[in-house]
Amino acid sequence: MKTTLIKTISKIALVLIPTITLSMAATAHDPSMHVKKVKKADCSKMDHSKMDMNDPVTIAMMKKCMKQAKKANMEMDHSKMAKKMDHSKMDKKMEHSKMQKVDKIIKKKDEHDNH
Amino acid sequence: MKLLLLLISLGIGTTIAVMYSGIVNVAADEPHSDFVYWLLEETRENSIKKAAKNIEVPNLKNPEQLLTGGTDYEFMCASCHLAPGQTESDMSLGLYPAPPNLTIAAQSHEGHEHGDETQSDRKNFWVIKHGIKASGMPAWGKTHDDERIWAMVAFIKRLPTLTPEQYQVLTAVE
Repeated sequence: MKTTLIKTISKIALVLIPTITLSMAATAHDPSMHVKKVKKADCSKMDHSKMDMNDPVTIAMMKKCMKQAKKANMEMDHSKMAKKMDHSKMDKKMEHSKMQKVDKIIKKKDEHDNH
Repeated sequence: MKLLLLLISLGIGTTIAVMYSGIVNVAADEPHSDFVYWLLEETRENSIKKAAKNIEVPNLKNPEQLLTGGTDYEFMCASCHLAPGQTESDMSLGLYPAPPNLTIAAQSHEGHEHGDETQSDRKNFWVIKHGIKASGMPAWGKTHDDERIWAMVAFIKRLPTLTPEQYQVLTAVE
């Protein structure tokens, strides 16, 4: 009984071990791992207290982070956003009386198509 | 005279036999013998030293150089020469001769001498600009001007002192 069990286990191991090993090797060389991802600077980990402000590395990092922050602010410029969202024009387009008419036309067209 | 002719003929004959028999294994996963490795390394190092000896090294302490050089390093060099916190890559393992790990200071490298700081900067500039035959190192000078290559040299100079976090910020695309 024991020998049969050992034989079965060893057979399963013989199949499973190479399968797992091969599948892991395939994962390790997935083409997506070779793609360079463009990442933004992670400035959150900068500890200013430990930084030497005369070191070119520190100055370069500060420059990069300041530029990035400036760019992010430019993209989130609410004053410009408000200008783009011209509500007076939006109201004109969203004329509900006309919208109802369009609804009726679509309904009529559907009824006509069904005939 | 006859002996000299015989030796020359023998030398040429042996070279032709080696070339055309295909007995030389060119596979990158089979290393050279110690003697061949030494021969090639000495030839390479002396060639670079001679070619780079008159190069004038500019100021390499400009923070802008670290930003330009950092981005270029990440996209052109890091896959072979690694980044802080990394010990190997597909390229660093697969290439032969293995590309040097530039996150380690030149003084800590095993093998050949690197000379003083200026010599090291000259050498790095020359190698980046002209590349090295049959090694996998491209000649970046064909597509990048000297200023940009010096920026890479400036970045490589500071690379062994960088933490993974500093490296991430310096090399990130704006």
